[in-house]
Amino acid sequence: MPRSRVLAAAWFALAMMTSVRSQQPAPQPVLPGGPPGAGVQAGGGRTGRDQAAVDPAAVDRGRLLFAQACSFCHGGDARGGAEGGTDLTRSPIVTGDGSATQLGEFLKVGRPEKKMPPFPMPDAQTADLAAFLRSLAAAGRGGGRGITAAVVGDATAGELFFNGAGRCATCHSVTGDLKGVGAKYPVATLQGRIVLPRGTGGYPGQGGARDGRSVKVTLPDGQIHAGTLVSISDFSLTMVDAAGLRRSIERNGSQPRVEVTDPLQAHLDMMTKLTDKDMHDVTAYLVTLK
Amino acid sequence: MKMCSGLMLLCLPALSLTLRGQGARDPAQVQASTGEAWPTYHGDYSGRHYSPLKQVTVANAKGLSLAWIYKTTSSAVGAITGGQSQGPTPPPAAGRGGGGGGATPGGPVIKSIPLMVNGVLYLSAPNHVYAVDALTGEQIWHYVWQGRNAIGNRGVGLYGNWLYVATPENSIVSLDAATGKERWNRQLVGPTAVNFSTSAPVIVRNHVLVGIGGDGGGSQSFLESLDPESGESQWKWLTTPAKGQPGSETWPNAEVAQKSAGAPWQPPTYDPQLNLLYVTTGQPTPTYNGKSREGANLYTCSVVALDPDTGKMAWYYQFSPHDTHDWDATQVPVLIDGTVGGQPRKLLALANRNGYYFLLDRTTGQSLTVRPFAASNSYDVGENRQLIPNPAKEGSPGGTLVFPDSDGAANYPAPSFSPDTGLFYVNATDAASVFYLPADPTDPTGFGRGSEWHTGLFTSRLVALDYRTGQVKWEHKYPQVAGFWSSTHPGVLTTAGGVLFSGDPSGDFVAYDAATGKTLWHARLGASLTNTPSTWMLNGKQYVVIAAGESLFGFYLQ
Repeated sequence: MPRSRVLAAAWFALAMMTSVRSQQPAPQPVLPGGPPGAGVQAGGGRTGRDQAAVDPAAVDRGRLLFAQACSFCHGGDARGGAEGGTDLTRSPIVTGDGSATQLGEFLKVGRPEKKMPPFPMPDAQTADLAAFLRSLAAAGRGGGRGITAAVVGDATAGELFFNGAGRCATCHSVTGDLKGVGAKYPVATLQGRIVLPRGTGGYPGQGGARDGRSVKVTLPDGQIHAGTLVSISDFSLTMVDAAGLRRSIERNGSQPRVEVTDPLQAHLDMMTKLTDKDMHDVTAYLVTLK
Repeated sequence: MKMCSGLMLLCLPALSLTLRGQGARDPAQVQASTGEAWPTYHGDYSGRHYSPLKQVTVANAKGLSLAWIYKTTSSAVGAITGGQSQGPTPPPAAGRGGGGGGATPGGPVIKSIPLMVNGVLYLSAPNHVYAVDALTGEQIWHYVWQGRNAIGNRGVGLYGNWLYVATPENSIVSLDAATGKERWNRQLVGPTAVNFSTSAPVIVRNHVLVGIGGDGGGSQSFLESLDPESGESQWKWLTTPAKGQPGSETWPNAEVAQKSAGAPWQPPTYDPQLNLLYVTTGQPTPTYNGKSREGANLYTCSVVALDPDTGKMAWYYQFSPHDTHDWDATQVPVLIDGTVGGQPRKLLALANRNGYYFLLDRTTGQSLTVRPFAASNSYDVGENRQLIPNPAKEGSPGGTLVFPDSDGAANYPAPSFSPDTGLFYVNATDAASVFYLPADPTDPTGFGRGSEWHTGLFTSRLVALDYRTGQVKWEHKYPQVAGFWSSTHPGVLTTAGGVLFSGDPSGDFVAYDAATGKTLWHARLGASLTNTPSTWMLNGKQYVVIAAGESLFGFYLQ
């Protein structure tokens, strides 16, 4: 129990750091090449303050409150539901204040700019809600969106797949970009990123994820604009070019000519064919890369 | 009535008299809708989200322009109030920054489909009902229910001169449509239950039908029929069976069954000829953990045909037996009068969250077509066209890669069926998650300690399916990656003008040629589209209405 509590505290610290970072103004322009949200999992402090002992009855009361008032947006597991709510197990408002005061103050006003209405409630209920939310974060002591993932694969078979049928070695190197990757990510994060290193395991678009693909536009007069895609629809696209200039271009059917290249295309091609065994084996292999 | 709409306030007394008996109480009227009004959540009882209006056509849709914008307010200032403080959240005295009729930041998001009858729009958000002049976009009245909050409300029901709305804490409130004054309210289940209500009541003859929401587990879900005048219960259909009842054999015991959600919160569809109501149900709980609930878990993840006069079930069909991926079946059961094998047939079509398109005979519940319309890897199709879940695709300690993710290939936003094209239209998402479930899940409630890591593909497409076969006739892939998931798709509307209205992940409201998928017109509305488009006529003009966040937009041909 002490061990898990220390780890839980570390998770809180991690969540605080990452969430605080995400509240800062979004970097402009977009970092080229970096998959959206790539930085979110990487924060690294393993130290943190201890947390107050958990009262199981408070957790139970908080669970009921949560189900009534919060789960619709934040999901039954508080990790950001289908309606696009914030992952509360990573929120500094939830995890950053031992007295639950901050949560209470926050709930009085909500977050109108993100369409969260006010949920004022008595202090005792706020404390119960905070206890429940902290229990979820604590349960996820392994990190990776609070998921406790077991390593069940065969590392040797994973190495074979990595260098052979999986063709991972075409783009990746265990002594280069993946050096030490087993120590860098929790297992669930690592495995999720093996499938597709885009996003942070939440619903798509959460955390302000940007497109991140590269784009080349050929205008009717032959002029070419290339850069990193910020957003694209059937009617327009926005890119940031190599000089950091933001440019929006109107689209009308096939004009102008637009070529989008996804650096993760190999993952997209692979994932519909990936078996659970191969996924587990590669995870087991990469976990060994400390 | 048309001349009245410009002078709404002066006309209200007369309007209320005229409205009485002209509302949505006659099923035949709703079924054979001329498209002039939008009198019920789905537009009519069929759930097709198809309008016979044809003023806006493939040829002229590019001339659509803005008629008005209405913005919701969360301020209680000047509003009619009802309800009282109960449950965990006392009411705020007024919305933030409210007062004096000035602009109020943070009005509630509109997820409801507004009704439009006799020149007045009726729309809702949790604890709020708004009446809006359909000609000008001006608010006529605003009703606020003081109570616990939630974030979604799908709309109101209308019967004669009375409106019905469900509150987050499971009260049904009846309002005078002319004034917004409360007539009565009735709490269907107490605020301690793990339920919240989002559904739009549907009225069939003298039945106000409302399904209770909530998927946290731990309490039973139901659809209840209320007397429209008194609010008294007429009957109540429970999603999961009691001991010894049919369906109880699909559960370990009655206690487990009665604590497993299955909330039927999608507004039902209705066939007046068969006198059958089609109700779709939510997922069983614990959601990710099926170990404590071995069996098919009837009647979760199903469509059931109910007699609206008695609540008795005529038949059921289960889309996702023993679901462990949160693939509820609360999508719209679309009623199609079509032909199969040259014979006229009464059909029911549904594009399920689990990635499969289903076509059933709605007289008998017989399955006619089962075909995936999005990436799916968790089922085998049995001989009787019944899906068989692959146990290897349940969550596991080491993780299981599953298509689609829990949000699903489709979700509650309405699809559409056009009898002119014979195509069934739905916004579909190809997505996957790695599902986790500990070897010994310690928490048997709620999501059962299971979790998931959402991963790609996140490809969203507007697909047009042959309603008989489920085969893709055309599809329009949205170019944007990451940013659209199935519960936030806008719904789809088709019209006799050959136009399909929906929207893309960038917040563009788009008109397409329903036959080909060619884009005809678009307007970027500054926020994600948050409901399903609807259409109606006023003063000889066809309006098309869509919500984006707190704003409702009306478009027409000038």
